[in-house]
This record gives sequence, structure tokens and C-alpha cells, in this order.
Amino acid sequence: MGEYFIRRTLQSVVVLFLITIFTFGLIHAAPGGPTSMFLSPGLSQEAMKQQAENMGLYDPLHIQYFRWLGDILQGDLGNTFKNNLPVADILWPTVKNTLVLMGVAWLLTLIIAIPWGIYNSTREYGLSDQTASFISYIGFAMPTFWFGIILQSFFSIELDWLPLSDMYTMGKEGDVGDLLMHLILPVSVLTLGFLASYLKYSRASMLEVLEQDYIRTARAKGVPERKVVFRHALRNALIPIITIIGLDLPLLVGGAALTENVFNWPGMGRLFVEAASGREYTILMALTLLTAVFVVIGNLIADILYAIVDPRVQLGKGGKSA
Amino acid sequence: MAPTSIKWKTMIAGLSVMGVIAAGCGDNAGNNTAGNTNTPATNTANEGAANNAGTPETTGPVKGGTLTVSSFSDIVSLNPLFIGDTASGDIAYLIFANLLDYDRNGNAVAEPWSLLESVPEISEDGKTYTLKLKADAKWSDGTPVTADDIMFLINTAKNPEAASPAIASFDKVDKVEKVDDKTAKITLKQVYAPFLNVLVTNVVPSHILKDVPAKELKGHAYGKDPAQTVTNGPWKWSSWTQKQNLIMDKDPNYWAKSTNDVNIDKIVYKIYADQNTEVQAFIKGDVDTISAIPVTQVEAVRGKGLEVNVEPGPTYEYLGFNFNKDNFGGKPSLFEGQKTRQAIATALNRDAMIEAILKGTGKALNAPFLPGSWADPGADAIEYKFDPEKAKALLAEDGWKDTNNNGTVDKDGREFEFELQYNAGNSRREAVSSAIQNDLKTIGIKVNTKGIDFASWIEQNVTPGKYQAMLLSWSLSNPDPDSEAIFSSKYFAPEGQNSGFYNNPTLDKLWVDGYSTTDQEKRKEIYKQVGKEISTNLPYVFMYQYGLPQGIGKRIKWADGDGPQASLAYGYFYGINKWWVEDQK
Repeated sequence: MGEYFIRRTLQSVVVLFLITIFTFGLIHAAPGGPTSMFLSPGLSQEAMKQQAENMGLYDPLHIQYFRWLGDILQGDLGNTFKNNLPVADILWPTVKNTLVLMGVAWLLTLIIAIPWGIYNSTREYGLSDQTASFISYIGFAMPTFWFGIILQSFFSIELDWLPLSDMYTMGKEGDVGDLLMHLILPVSVLTLGFLASYLKYSRASMLEVLEQDYIRTARAKGVPERKVVFRHALRNALIPIITIIGLDLPLLVGGAALTENVFNWPGMGRLFVEAASGREYTILMALTLLTAVFVVIGNLIADILYAIVDPRVQLGKGGKSA
Repeated sequence: MAPTSIKWKTMIAGLSVMGVIAAGCGDNAGNNTAGNTNTPATNTANEGAANNAGTPETTGPVKGGTLTVSSFSDIVSLNPLFIGDTASGDIAYLIFANLLDYDRNGNAVAEPWSLLESVPEISEDGKTYTLKLKADAKWSDGTPVTADDIMFLINTAKNPEAASPAIASFDKVDKVEKVDDKTAKITLKQVYAPFLNVLVTNVVPSHILKDVPAKELKGHAYGKDPAQTVTNGPWKWSSWTQKQNLIMDKDPNYWAKSTNDVNIDKIVYKIYADQNTEVQAFIKGDVDTISAIPVTQVEAVRGKGLEVNVEPGPTYEYLGFNFNKDNFGGKPSLFEGQKTRQAIATALNRDAMIEAILKGTGKALNAPFLPGSWADPGADAIEYKFDPEKAKALLAEDGWKDTNNNGTVDKDGREFEFELQYNAGNSRREAVSSAIQNDLKTIGIKVNTKGIDFASWIEQNVTPGKYQAMLLSWSLSNPDPDSEAIFSSKYFAPEGQNSGFYNNPTLDKLWVDGYSTTDQEKRKEIYKQVGKEISTNLPYVFMYQYGLPQGIGKRIKWADGDGPQASLAYGYFYGINKWWVEDQK
């Protein structure tokens, strides 16, 4: 396991390195540069060129890349082009805010979806199962920003029960009670979206296991149904769910730009959109790198959890190694 | 030196469905050298006042309270040398004093809160301006505002190494000299009538920045760290939470407190990523005033009993033609014939567009001078009334006929088909370009509309002048009618802003005449001729003047005549030094 872990980590570093090269090239290939954003009244081409030169944008691309890489290795994410502020100062607060929002929504989803989906698999097409299906359809079909707007106008404007937007009321930064009030609406929107898929996954995966021969054997032997479900079926049903959880981990930082926008949540999704349209190369690179790190970690965690849930999986040996 | 537009004009990305993107997209309404168009201060001011004054508790100005203002973009920098975007300009309006300020009619005057004692004396030859600063003008750290600050501003802006957008403003300045601590003398290279407008500007604290190398100024903490940003306006800058909010507090040590004692204690500038949320926040009362309500939501907001001011602002939209052969495969531009351009203007139903797309928030215009301004040529500019039959006749006179009966007119075997570009995501331009497409179809011209991402579009098409026709707007942040920099053949793209390569020697000369005399009456005559010539010759089809509807919440109050002035740049804040808030939180 230790050797496996080291090998995977080294592989990941190579993958991350390739991702950065690829993204760097791609971002710079996009037409328009940060200077086209400075297009201010009467700013001459000359002044614009001077700005680009001051920012080092005229250096050859590989030089720019290695300069960026060198800085990153020293923990420096660089500065924004627009106003020369350290990217780290902008990035970390938004990462934290997104983690709070997505973390709560995701945990809530798992807490609701896994037990409920499993319960529904044992009572196929019952009332509870039908309700879950209905919620899933709504969750899949409803655009998140639209649902967000509906919730806002009802709970915030008409009833005035909940705050409309933002993470804290101004002047109450850090107040947990205030944060919870602000979380209710966006978390509802996100949870509904996540629930749609997780309810389906957990139900389907459990149903599949329950049809396996060994379950039939267990039942035939007279093992109580409760024991069949929890002892024999559950562990196996969790394997595909864990894969999905692992793959979804990057969502935690990728954020949900639309939901963040509607609720004016100061998170990463929003930063990403702004950075992309403003061609803020340094912010884009930092965000891509961070997301890539989460993808790699998510996969790694999923693999390790397999081994815990399923003893047949032997990491680093035989067929299951990555 | 490249384009010398003294008139600070900006491309407006305009309202976009995706507010975020628009925000990042150069919706730069210009610098603090805010301007206006002499629109008489009529209903704009009084609409809001009348309504608000109806509240029974209103007895008169109340001191204290917090005013919350919303925005959909964050600031870039508050260093006056680098202000080029709307958000930074908004804050500068609150925390900095100007050398001169605009009155409601757009005249540059010395208000009690302006840094200059009076409008500068101009020498006999019209080239030298003597600026006298008020004796008590001070920065928030107690240092007096001096002639050094004026010199530092101008000399730094003129230094290309600093890469300041203010470079164009001071292009016509030959030299600036210090007479004494409070007096500076500016000499121009030539007589330049609009120069007083350039003096509607903040200055820069030389005592803080004088030792910073020009190249490093942009990176300096001044303008980005509130603690290091000394100011000289009625409010000081207290905090900045990036992408979320800025807070300004009344400055107890403000130098002009005795004559300009503002009522509002604290101003919160709140940033919303989504325009719909911003409007909802205004309806809910989280926000007291919003400077840009999407036209489609104006009725909904009014339905909630809230005041919306829809007076058009200092911005006009145009259909720009390109006259460069290179954009037409080496053949002459399709728009070469004056009658062809007139036919296009006649075929467009602008009133219907204003009604249906702008929801009545615009006004048609016929020349690049805002209606009602002193230079407005009025009836001397030719108005093209919607008349498809006449348009067809004009096209035919120019030789465009549908000889092969395919529905599109042609001439010398060439079909009349062109591409109309605009920035994708801007819902107004999207709708207007389809309307243009439809209107021109009825006279046999085929238009292909194309929306392009703003950043790419500006870099690859607009700046280098690589397009056949485009829909864009100019923001006149300065009330002076001089538009040489966008219409004169001296300023062809890519160096200049005449990106359509429009060449009209008569106009070229008139523009120069227009700014070479300081006699307002003579200038008026000249701009009348400009108006006539430009509306006949049509480098653009001038579409309409439009603005961003401003929402005014119930807590904001002002006395009669102190309300916002939509026709001025930053006009939504006009009079804020006299406003007060009621029902204080």
C-alpha cells in the first residue's frame, strides 16, 4: 500500500505538470489578452503596448511558462494583470467560501440520498420510491439559476424570512448563525441538483447487488432480510457510489458558478467566469491547477476506499492497480 | 503619439444577460473626468424628488446613516492615474475632489468643493491656463494639495512608461510649471477649446508617489490598499473586500467641511455578480440605489412602487460602416455610396427598436452630439424617417437593383450582403442587430449578424478595423462636442479610433476649426456645419441615445433640484453630497 501510494503520487505530479502546460498553452491561444480589458477611453496603442511590456506579456511563451512554474514552486501564484494584486489574496478566500457552500450541500446530499436510495431499493415503486423519483426528475430538469430565483422571490422578498444573497450580513462576518441563514437557500438549490443523481445511483447500485446470486443464496439459507441488506448487500452497493463520490470531489472547488452568481456567493465559480472573460491568466492557471489537484486527490481517495470496502481489491497488485 | 482623443470616449459593452461577463468586458464609462451634455436639468432631478418628498416625515436633511449602492463590477484601482473603469470612477467620485466640477448644464465650474479657487484664467493667445488652488485644500493625511500634485499628475500621465489611460487627456499639454505652492501654469501646444473639461479631474498625491518609478506606479499600493490611499473628498476609503464590497466613511478632517458638510455617514458599495440578484436586492431594500436596471425589468421594479429614472445618459449607439477595401475582398466597400448609406438609414425603424427593445428608454439621434447639448445641431442635422419605399428608391439611384430576382439587390454582379458584428452576450445589441437584419431585408440587403466574445472582438476586429459593419456605442464622458479622434482621417485604425477608415476632408477641417477657437458662439456655428455634413454623409447610422435606468430607493431623500443628473457621466451620484437617508439602520 505504501509503495502504491508513492507511485500514485509521483504519477499525479507528472499529470499535474502536463495539465499546466496544456492549460497554459490553451489559455494563451485564446484570442484577446488581458490588455484588451484595459481598453480605456483614449488609451493609445502605444500605452497599451507599454502596459503589456510592463507585465511581461511580450516574452516568448515558454519563458512565460517557466517563470510561472518557478513562481508556483516557490508558492507564489503571481499577480493579476488588471491591478497587480496577489492572486493568492483573491483565490484563498473564494476557495474557502466555496468549500463551505459545496461542502454543506454535498454532505447533506449524501446523508439524505444514500440511506433513502437504499431504503427505496428494498421497496421498489412504493410511495417513498415514487417520491424520490419525482424529486430526481425535478432536480434534473430544473435549471438551478431559475430555481434559485424562485426561492429568492418567495422566501426572501415575499415572506422576508431569509436573506436574499451573500454569505454574511454586512458587519456580521464570522457569525455562524448568520452564515446558516444565508446557507439555507443556496444549499437547497444545490442539494436538489445533487440529490437527483445520488438518489438514483444509490438505489440502482443497491438493486443490482440485491439481484446477485450470493444474496439469493443468503436469503435461501434463511438469513433475515435486515441482515441480508446491511451485512451482505450494503458494502458491495457502496463501491460504485464511492467511485462517484471520488469523482465528484473536484466539485467542491469547481463550485457552481450559476448558483454562486444568483446568490452572490463570493466563491470560486464566479471568480472563474470573471477571470476567463478578463483573460486573467494567473488566476485561471491557479484555479485550473487547484481543480486538477482535487481531481487527482479524489481519484486517489476513491481507490483507497475501494480497498477498505472491498477486500478483493489489492492496491498495487494485480488487476485493480491504477 | 497615437490617438489624441481629448474627449474620453469609451466602448460600452452594455447590459448583458450575463452581468459578470459584461462587468469583465470593458463596460468602462470613462474616467472621473465625467462629462455631460447640457441637457437642461428638468424632470431628471425632480421626478425622484417629488416622489420622495411625499413622505410625511420629511422635514429636511438628516445627518448620519448608511447609504448602500450596488454595482456589478469591482474596482480596478483608485489611483487617479489608472482609473478607466466605471466602478473605480464611481468610488473616485466619492473620495476625491476634482480641480473643477460640472454644473448641471455640463459647464466646468469651480464649486465650493472643487480644488481650484475659480475657473482658470486663459491667456490672450488661448494657450496658457493659470490654475489657482484653494488655500485650505488638503489631503486626508493633512498634507496640503499643491501645484506639485497637479504637475505630478500631468507629467506622469504624459510619461508613456507609466502606461496611464490619462495620457490622451493631457496630450495637448506642452508644459506645466509651478508658479508658487498653490499656483500652476499649463501651456498648451495649440488652442484647444475643450481643455477646461480635462481639468474636471482628480489630482495625485505627489508627496506619496513622487519617488516611485513610473513603471512601478501601477503596482503600487496607493489606490489598492485603503490604509495607504490618502484622499481629498468628503468621504474616505475605509475598506475593500474584493468582489464583495467597499466601504467609505465620512472624513471628519475633510478640508471643505465648512462649505460641503455631507449628510451621509457611510456609503457601502456592494458588488453583485448577477444583475437579476442586484435588482432583487434593490426591491428587497438591501440596496438603496442601483445605477443600471436592465430595461426588461424596469416595469417590474416600478410595479413594486419604486422610483426608476429612465432619462437617457451620455451614450449613443451606432451602426458603423467600414470603408476599407481589405474588408471586402479587395473590392470597394459596399457602403461607398452616400445614397446607399442614406438608404440604410431610411430603412431602419429606429422608433420601433426604441419602443420594443429599449422599452422606451432611448431617444433617436441624428448626429454625434447628444440632443439638448449646446452643440446639438437640432434641425440642421438630417433626420432619416423610417420609409422603406424611399430607401429602395435611394438604393436604386445608387445602382443597386435586384437584376437576378433572388431577393437581394446587386450592382455590377455583386450582391449586397454584409456581416454585422456585435459583442455576444449583450442582449440589447443582439436584438437590435436582428431588427436591422429584418429592416434591411425588406429593401433587399442581406445582413448576416455575428456576435463575438467581447475581448476577442475588440482585439481582432474593432481595434484593427477588421469588420464590414458593427453595432457599438460611444460614451461621451465629456460634454464637449469635439469628436475628431473618431471621425478624422488622422486617426485611422489600428493606432487611432477611426476604425471604419472614414475619410471626409471637409469634416477633418471642421473638427480642427471647432477646437481652435475658444469663442463659444463661433464654435456653435462650426458644430452646426459638422452636424449637417456628418448627418448627410453618414460615417455611421446614428441610432439612439440611451442610458441605464437608475433605481432610487425609498430611504434616499433630497431637496428639490438636488437629485441625480442622468445626462452626466456618473450622473447617478450627482448631488450625493446633499442627499440624506431616512429610517436609518
